[in-house]
Amino acid sequence: MTEYFEVHGRDGAARLGELRLDDPVTTPALVDEVVDDAGSLWARERELPEGAADRLTILPHRAFPPGTREPVRESFRVDHPEIDTPSAAVVSSEEARDVGADAYLLSDANAFVGHASAFTDAIIRTREAIPADTALYLSGVATPRNVATLVYAGVDLVDAKKAKVRGAEGFYLTSEGERFLEDLRELPCACSACQQPIAEFGPRDCAEHNVNALRTELRVVRERIREGRLRDYVEGQARHDQWLTAAFREFDQQYGYVEERAPVVREAELAAASGDSIRRPEIQRFAERVTERYRTEFDGPLVLVPCSATKPYSESQSHRQFHDAIQWRGHLASMTSPIGVVPQELELTYPAQQYDTVVTGRWSADEKEFVSAVLRRYLQRNDYDRVIAHVPPGGYTDICETVEPAVDADFEYTVADHPTTDDSLAALSAALEGEEAYRKRTREHRIVRAMADYQLGEGAGAELFPSDEIQTTSRYPKIQIRDAEGEQLATMVPNYGVLSFTTAGARKWAESDAPSKTVEIDEFVPHGSVLAPGVVDADEAIRTGDEVIVSGPKAFGVGRASMFGSEMRESTRGIAVETRHVDEL
Amino acid sequence: MSKPTPEVYERGRGMDAHNQVMRDIRAENDDSYDPHEPTRVWIDEDNTPDGVYQSLTIILNTGGCRWARAGGCTMCGYVAESVEGGSVSHEALMDQIQVALDHEAEEADEQSGLIKIYTSGSFLDEREVPAETRRAIAETFADRDRIVVESLPDFVDREKVRDFTEQGLETDVAVGLETATDRVRHDCVNKYFDFADFEDACAEAREAGGGVKAYLLMKPPFLSEQEALEDMQSSVRRCGAVDGCHTVSMNPCNVQRYTMVDELFYEGGYRPPWLWSVAEVLRTTTDVDAIVVSDPVGHGSDRGAHNCGECDDRVQRAIKDFDLRQDPSVFEQVECECEFTWELVLEEEQSFNTPLAR
Repeated sequence: MTEYFEVHGRDGAARLGELRLDDPVTTPALVDEVVDDAGSLWARERELPEGAADRLTILPHRAFPPGTREPVRESFRVDHPEIDTPSAAVVSSEEARDVGADAYLLSDANAFVGHASAFTDAIIRTREAIPADTALYLSGVATPRNVATLVYAGVDLVDAKKAKVRGAEGFYLTSEGERFLEDLRELPCACSACQQPIAEFGPRDCAEHNVNALRTELRVVRERIREGRLRDYVEGQARHDQWLTAAFREFDQQYGYVEERAPVVREAELAAASGDSIRRPEIQRFAERVTERYRTEFDGPLVLVPCSATKPYSESQSHRQFHDAIQWRGHLASMTSPIGVVPQELELTYPAQQYDTVVTGRWSADEKEFVSAVLRRYLQRNDYDRVIAHVPPGGYTDICETVEPAVDADFEYTVADHPTTDDSLAALSAALEGEEAYRKRTREHRIVRAMADYQLGEGAGAELFPSDEIQTTSRYPKIQIRDAEGEQLATMVPNYGVLSFTTAGARKWAESDAPSKTVEIDEFVPHGSVLAPGVVDADEAIRTGDEVIVSGPKAFGVGRASMFGSEMRESTRGIAVETRHVDEL
Repeated sequence: MSKPTPEVYERGRGMDAHNQVMRDIRAENDDSYDPHEPTRVWIDEDNTPDGVYQSLTIILNTGGCRWARAGGCTMCGYVAESVEGGSVSHEALMDQIQVALDHEAEEADEQSGLIKIYTSGSFLDEREVPAETRRAIAETFADRDRIVVESLPDFVDREKVRDFTEQGLETDVAVGLETATDRVRHDCVNKYFDFADFEDACAEAREAGGGVKAYLLMKPPFLSEQEALEDMQSSVRRCGAVDGCHTVSMNPCNVQRYTMVDELFYEGGYRPPWLWSVAEVLRTTTDVDAIVVSDPVGHGSDRGAHNCGECDDRVQRAIKDFDLRQDPSVFEQVECECEFTWELVLEEEQSFNTPLAR
């Protein structure tokens, strides 16, 4: 059972945690100063340590270095007795398992750190074997350059051992590199150790600087986690070492692991500034949900338009002009890299509203391939008689032309040079001549159902909010959904483009056939939040930030998930759900 | 610390596992060797209780260690150098001795006073070296001053030792004790006798008028640099305190092919000890009542004891100098920046993050 570690915040697989010592340590962090090693059982018998409330005690261990074969591990494996104070267990990533410790230290880290696929395998294997709310500790491997990626992958605790030893060996470490001290012409740092002439700067100073640099980098990383922007940082910083770039790419290939940990909503901007942004789980998930959960209800033509830098798109000048030409006579969807296709109903939905990309007008082959694939899937799922491609020549039209042969709808192109010229806009308007305009009520109902599909699963919108059972009030983007009697069921949250339920709405959801995201709790009435130990069960599909039903023998309510589903089930500490409305039963 | 299983049972399981793995690793080697050639022969200088002698060292190919055929020690690759089929005849063994004598005649100006015979097993095990061969070899070298023969403690029997002492040879049995710590010998080295057996062997050798030269292994797998250093300091002291054990040869582990150590090394889980650690043990045990020497094999290479690459030869020379003079001041004359790294490694390295530096 985890008692002395708690996860307070998540940013993908990275966590902001607390090592609950007398003087708590905010993680990810260096733990050199707070760790006590009870010693190796290879060398001698050891007493069971008492531990201390102000220390993380590493339980007596027989560490298996990398390369130790299975029969040897099997027969020399030791028990990890539980102690009443903060404890860490030494295990090999080859056979990580739950032994009731607060933290797990991997004895084979120096073999897989430095090798992207081995690193990815080891971290995922370990994370899946140990409880989600325990800390993962890698000793003797962290450097200022690799620590952001270690944390990004899910490592919570590191130490400065490697940085010190590299300093002693004459290697000057920074977040962007490693240089031989003798080759430096200038100290590229202003930390306390570096406040001296380079001629007087020796290995001891270098060791001290390296530790300072590692501490600094960890501060940057912690702040990035708080902001929800560690990935944006890693995409850039990891470029300084090939294996680090390879490592986060390897994680992108482990979609199950990263998607489960990626929050469904964030307030923060998502910087799509590199070719790797396309493979972020948030981006992939949006494309997946748009092409597998969402289904258009519009029967008029589809109007494909280019995205805009301003978000939401509808507030941009170009989209206002498109709108004036379309006049609700077509279903608007934006084509964009790296998101793919954004139907107008989901223009607020994370990350469609939050991403910011680098605009040059040049499309990479990867971008074209991705957007083509999304558009193809979108058009194969949704039947449109006509597709009006109001997009500028170049990348956009290349994509349309690639997709056209694979789908039934005919493409009509209405832009000669630029989409916002008078001629283009006139052509767009002309193409829609005679098409029926949608009514506001219809549009609003469709937005609500689209969000429900996106958020809860395919068919959820039709199940929960059929037009003959609901009415919408208030103005977009703060639409309120009420039943026929006027009782409020849900509200649209403009910041992320998702629905937030009332208890009445949650009851309707719970009783419906819509895919459920339910957290079953014990016999209590939560006030403000549900803590992990109170969770009896939770749906696998729940993601951090998801709207969830909270249901127990004494209470029924609704809230927002602070963890993902399996984390709720495994954890013994931490907030599982921030509840919004709770009815006592 | 709670123990779910009795120590004996636990040891048995560990031994089975080590043996199983070592057998598998050794099976990857398909080389075999000519039973009429010794594995290696060389001329050197050695410090003995009677002073420094020119020595002729012969690694006899006897078909190898029986223990190694069961699996054997985690660091020992010598079995890989044994013959196919496993046993070597009296005639073939005597041919090997002749090759060694020819080598000596060719390479050295005079006969070596000291003969050292190793078998990568037990010279005193009659399944490896028949009694007839043992006696013939004793006769062959009767005109020398001293002889060292290698054996596990189980085979050290006063009658066998007497075969040599009766020829007027000062006789030492070289025992691969590896460490005085039973736990480390069993679990890290996978060598299955106890320190008490070593003490018994010393007593047997003394009965026949011989002595014992203990061979220690610095830094078997699974230990940190500091643990390895402490294990050697205490082992040298405990050996020196045993009657009959007049010499301790403390040797850093090197990475030999087809061993568990080699696999750990390859995967990044093992580094041979620092030469500074070797020097430190020698420097801090000069008060022990025994000759303490070390012969780092492959010093300076990744697979042998090494420092930073800059100072390896200098430190090695100091160690060899110490071997002959037993004077710790030889170490005051070598310095290198990498001592700071070594000190940090001693301080910071634990078995769960070893090696911290290459």
